Amino acid sequence: MLKTKRLAVTLGTLVAVVALPVSAHHSFPAQYDADKPVTLTGAVTKVEWMNPHILFAIDVKDEKTGDVTNWTLEMGSPNSLLRLGWNRDSMRVGDIVTVEGFLARDGSHLANARSVTLTSTGKKMFAGSSQGSER
Amino acid sequence: MNAERLAARLVAATVWLALSTAAHAQWWLNVPDKTPRKADGEPDLMAPAPHLPDGTADLRGIWYQDSNRFTRDIAADIGADAVPYQPWAKTLADERATGAHSREDPDANCLPQGVPKIPAVPAPWKIVQTPELIVVVYEAFTLWRQIFMDGRRLADNVNPTWLGYSTGRWDGDTLVVDSRGFNGKIWLDQLGKPTTDKLHVIERYRRTDYGHMTLEATIDDPGAYTKPWTVMETYHLEPETELLEFICNENNQDLEHLPSSAD
Repeated sequence: MLKTKRLAVTLGTLVAVVALPVSAHHSFPAQYDADKPVTLTGAVTKVEWMNPHILFAIDVKDEKTGDVTNWTLEMGSPNSLLRLGWNRDSMRVGDIVTVEGFLARDGSHLANARSVTLTSTGKKMFAGSSQGSER
Repeated sequence: MNAERLAARLVAATVWLALSTAAHAQWWLNVPDKTPRKADGEPDLMAPAPHLPDGTADLRGIWYQDSNRFTRDIAADIGADAVPYQPWAKTLADERATGAHSREDPDANCLPQGVPKIPAVPAPWKIVQTPELIVVVYEAFTLWRQIFMDGRRLADNVNPTWLGYSTGRWDGDTLVVDSRGFNGKIWLDQLGKPTTDKLHVIERYRRTDYGHMTLEATIDDPGAYTKPWTVMETYHLEPETELLEFICNENNQDLEHLPSSAD
């Protein structure tokens, strides 16, 4: 039943993604660089389903050197993600995900997630990012 | 898995999908449906604006920004040149607009957004309306304002606050809210337009049809601006959601990544 629910969550998300709340309590361009998109793939090591932004971390392996770097990804608030059809079980530690987002300006291993694709289902979920269309 | 169970799962998934499509997955409460609907079942947000039995405009409902642009720049529509800054306020606003002080933005610190920024942020708010008192409940940081409609007047020497003290009256179908007693710490937007404790805000809320509201906000702050100035914002009804708790300070990790003049 759980898998069906998670699939339904994902499908619901894809349908309901129009005109839904973004969340940002701080300046997006002060923290992230919209000119520096990034795509990261790795296993989820942590999910903090908390306000004001959901944070999760993934281990990203450099295919050339084999080095593994732990990246932190910021999404919207739990409420905005709930309204997008996520719940706190939608992504779990150990899931392999591909994240599209924007790099932090301060050079840390931090990015703002715009979308998260679960490798197991191939479904793309939107992240209620603080990068709205106008920030 | 037998066919019956598979069918049950498919039905469950379909129902869930239908609900999430129609109602944005409002699993936490069943929202009583009093919304006028079109033939296709979608909410009719263009239906006439409702009135209470005594003829008063009915502003009740959950409202949400049409756009993020006023959160970013309250003068987005009127243009920067239309803001009548005093020289010191212009200097400060220009410096903050570079982003170099973003860590000092009260909102980034989970402090209240202040008036009139709070309705414009990306979180819904609810109007609770009675004849003598209107309460606005903001999902943003789980805050609220009382707007007294009972004719009381604000005392001369109030304790300064983020959201001020508000009295209201009806001008036809328009709710006119008069607020004073602010603390001077409010940023009017993320760009950082300043205020002082002389701030006085007049908000005019008008429900133009069932699903739309205009807010005309006049910023009258003789401490920072040379004359009152007015912005017009638009909001829409969210007929199928409910407010949720939003405690910003639960896990605010952003500050260390935001620039500050202390760097």
